[in-house]
Amino acid sequence: MSTTSSTSRGGTVARVIIGRTFLWTWLLIGLVPLLFMFITSIKPAGIANQIPPAWIFQPTLDNYASVLSAGDGKSESFGQLLTNSAIVSLGATALAIVVGVPAAYALTMRDFRARKGLSSWILSTYMFPPIVAVIPVFVFAGKLGLMDTYPALIIPYAAFNLPIVVWILRSSILQLPYEIQEAAMVDGASTWEVLRRIIWPLLVPSVATAAVLTIVLSWNEFLFALSLTRSGAKTAPVGLQQFTGMYGTDWGSITAAATLIVAPILVLMVVLRRQMVAGLTFGAVK
Amino acid sequence: MKTTAAPLDATLTVDASRPADSLATAGPRDRKPLTWKKRSTPWVYMAPAMFVLLLMTVAPAIFIFYSAFRNDKILGGVGKFVGLDNFITAVTNASVQHAFLITFGFVAVAVILEMILGFALALPLAAQTRANKVGAALMLLPFAVTPAVAAMVFKQLLNPNYGWVGYYLGVFGFPKGIDLLGDPTSAWIVLVILDMWQWTPFIALILMAGLQSLPGEPREAAMVDGATPWQMFRHITFPAMVPFIAIAAVLRTIQAFKTFDSFKILTGGGPGESTEIINLGIYRVGLQSFNVGLACALGVVFLIILSLLIPFMLRIIGRRADPEEM
Repeated sequence: MSTTSSTSRGGTVARVIIGRTFLWTWLLIGLVPLLFMFITSIKPAGIANQIPPAWIFQPTLDNYASVLSAGDGKSESFGQLLTNSAIVSLGATALAIVVGVPAAYALTMRDFRARKGLSSWILSTYMFPPIVAVIPVFVFAGKLGLMDTYPALIIPYAAFNLPIVVWILRSSILQLPYEIQEAAMVDGASTWEVLRRIIWPLLVPSVATAAVLTIVLSWNEFLFALSLTRSGAKTAPVGLQQFTGMYGTDWGSITAAATLIVAPILVLMVVLRRQMVAGLTFGAVK
Repeated sequence: MKTTAAPLDATLTVDASRPADSLATAGPRDRKPLTWKKRSTPWVYMAPAMFVLLLMTVAPAIFIFYSAFRNDKILGGVGKFVGLDNFITAVTNASVQHAFLITFGFVAVAVILEMILGFALALPLAAQTRANKVGAALMLLPFAVTPAVAAMVFKQLLNPNYGWVGYYLGVFGFPKGIDLLGDPTSAWIVLVILDMWQWTPFIALILMAGLQSLPGEPREAAMVDGATPWQMFRHITFPAMVPFIAIAAVLRTIQAFKTFDSFKILTGGGPGESTEIINLGIYRVGLQSFNVGLACALGVVFLIILSLLIPFMLRIIGRRADPEEM
């Protein structure tokens, strides 16, 4: 008995070491693409894509200044593309929250018989493949004269994030003690007042989580932005691909632009790590 | 707060002909003060969200079911009804069959590898140590990176002339200037590795949260009874983890079927058509060749196949996420 337990303890230690080695190897190798992107973005002109890779150099922010400056032969500055991305992401988030909060509230009303069916339907729309929506939306947007405008991206992005938003908010409302709502209603509050004065203040943290998720997923979107914009509403990820063609092997500028796209998202995600995973699993994993 | 108030007030005034929705006016007549007095109230609150969702899911679905039977071209004016022609092309065309086949292959291989590796990463990551806090934050990084940017960075790393991968492989004795995206097999390996790099962390973080939520007592009891670590994993940890594994697998499968960015940027479907998954195929047929009818027929087939997954998703996510139990 004692021998088996000691061998199993030895086995456990070995397993822990193997597990940790695997974990940290994965994490460090996983950083390589990001390190490459950042290091290349601060290399002086001329050595960005030098082979063998230069590891000792004078870091510079020239590449960032270059991509953010307008003019000099470029049709648009990368700053404008980042602005477009921000407008579209924030617009989609505002729309998703404005329509999502009342919907989530309705889905918790106790004598609303359709609430379970509607909750399931909203969740099931998460399955809807964007590639199937993009052609009809392309045709609709063309007919309505919305091609290459912000609404052409804001409305689809809001729609695709609504399942996540509604499910996060709905489960947060259900977790509030129902007695608070009851007490307010006994005191004569209307449904609107209950939402406005009782539920909304308690819901703010969940709204923030839902909003950040929507911002991140809208900011990262590529297919719709590629299909529905030409120049006016073009977002940064699409612009980056065209930069790659324009700048050729000017990897310093390309990676500086890439870093500018990724940096705000990385900060948001790392700060709200726990909530991100809970949100992206529709609250199924806390 | 102001922004939420405006549109709702607008929709609520539509119902103004009915008695106002408040106890103040309902007064003593109201026999059941704790229920919503108007049956329409929840529908009014639902309406804006339903409108947006219908506009972006149901309306496109109706459009593609309609267009799939026609030969409309985006630039060529109005076409005409062509019956099942598009579906016959969709089903009999060899490159369409290939596209569906490799899509399923990609989803299956990527999701299975990511699940196995995600679990293997979650086990050491679940221990609540200070190092693991840093580890979990680092874990999240690839998963937060804009997919289009990730694909572009991979493409630079793999560049045959200037890429780090080719150079450092050369240092270790591999042939110089290797073009991993130029060969179908290695292109596939790269696409799967990119997907794994980006998405395994998502699964690892779900399973980590699951492992951390498991109660310690059963394991302790089993240890006292002299169970081996494998027995404890097999009979205690793994069964308790099944719901989390199911959630991660379902969500990841859905996302994998939506994969577009990495293929579009890294290989564009090439070399040849070897990596043209169905998402790329529909994009090319519909938005580059402007053959809307055929693209919509492909979309209908894809939509029907995917809708088979919906019941699984509803059951697995609904059961865990819903305090009311669906």
